[in-house]
Amino acid sequence: MSTERINLEVPATPSAFCVVRRVLGGLGSRLGYSLDDLEDLYLATDGLLCAALGHEPLEWVRIAMVVASDDLRLTMGRFTSPDLRAEVAAEVQACNDIDLCRLLHGTMDEVHVADAGAAFDVVLVRRHREVRP
Amino acid sequence: MIERDEHVSAERRDLEGPTPQVQLAASAPALNQKSEPGRGADPDGRGRAESDKLDQYLLRRYHLHDDLKARDQLITMYMPLVRSLARRYASRGEHFDDLVQVGAIGLIKAIDRFDLTRGVELTTYATPNIVGEIKRYFRDKGWSVRVPRGLQELNIRVNKVIDELTARLQRSPTIAEIAEAASSTPEEVLEALESSQAYNSISLQASPTNDPGDDEATLVDYLGGDEDAYDTMEDRTMLAPGFAKLDSRERYILHLRFFEGLTQSQIASRVGISQMHVSRLIRRSLEKLRDEIGELDAPPVSQSRGTDSAL
Repeated sequence: MSTERINLEVPATPSAFCVVRRVLGGLGSRLGYSLDDLEDLYLATDGLLCAALGHEPLEWVRIAMVVASDDLRLTMGRFTSPDLRAEVAAEVQACNDIDLCRLLHGTMDEVHVADAGAAFDVVLVRRHREVRP
Repeated sequence: MIERDEHVSAERRDLEGPTPQVQLAASAPALNQKSEPGRGADPDGRGRAESDKLDQYLLRRYHLHDDLKARDQLITMYMPLVRSLARRYASRGEHFDDLVQVGAIGLIKAIDRFDLTRGVELTTYATPNIVGEIKRYFRDKGWSVRVPRGLQELNIRVNKVIDELTARLQRSPTIAEIAEAASSTPEEVLEALESSQAYNSISLQASPTNDPGDDEATLVDYLGGDEDAYDTMEDRTMLAPGFAKLDSRERYILHLRFFEGLTQSQIASRVGISQMHVSRLIRRSLEKLRDEIGELDAPPVSQSRGTDSAL
């Protein structure tokens, strides 16, 4: 499968996040993701975006969706809140509650922070799982 | 002309049966006993028979003589039946009183449309009308956003298909599989799934806490402007752990998903509900937790936060 990239820039309001879900849904559907996989993607992106809004006033959110051979990579940003960064980067073993860290690690295969100058992006990776016939 | 009038009179006499005076006298005991259709045991069936006689008499009074008092009396008599039917649907997230009101509309329609010539009992005719009205209410009014009827129906079909496919395939189905089974396209399925998030809206009159006894404040009280009770609310929120807002089932489902790593399909089969219901419960629970955290450290802005509960 060749690499494919979709760039989205949406207003940082919960009502606009459904656009992100629709694009993710279409992409995941085309990739043959199961409903469980899609629900996980929705939970992770909704969780991160809502947490970001809770930490800092944002006007826009950029989401890059890259489909590589065996994974779907989402890069979401730009964020500046150190609290958000700490939450995302926390060790999942240290999470006792269902916070952002556990939510992201519970739904995605990879979660990490990528520096982007003074700001940062959050990178979420979901590996493609072959659906049994 | 005269013949036709006579014919109509004869037909009316047939429908009216015995004279109203005799009939009223016969049914007076039933009135005094406050007979309640759909409730209570009546071993010898005598009370029921009397109630039926009274029904027929009142129906004739209303339909043939436009007696609105008879109609009111019928409505009052059958309200216990409405309440009994509404109770079946009371666990679906709507207020019982609202369901009773909707059911009452079904009852009134049944009384108004009742055909005296059919020879059936009012209960037989009213029950499907009342249930139908309640079901229509769930279909039409249970959506926080007006979703087109076609999409609502597809959503219902998709939910059924997901359950069937999950059981048959022993795994979570793909969108393409759901679309094929629902005779639809993947785009329509995704749209239907997204629209289902608009279901189970929370009333602005609902309490912001889970405490059914807390009826002093409603969500609408917290919309817009400076709220005097905000500080009190904030203090209360800071003291309360996030999980306290969740009921035991929500806690259990979140535990299964995020601590035991079960998928939504696996949780659905363990808890005995549909995958889409699990999905809705997880989202709702996370929203509650998010709200909790948001109230603890929200920045002083966000015009959009708190006004849109779609996520």
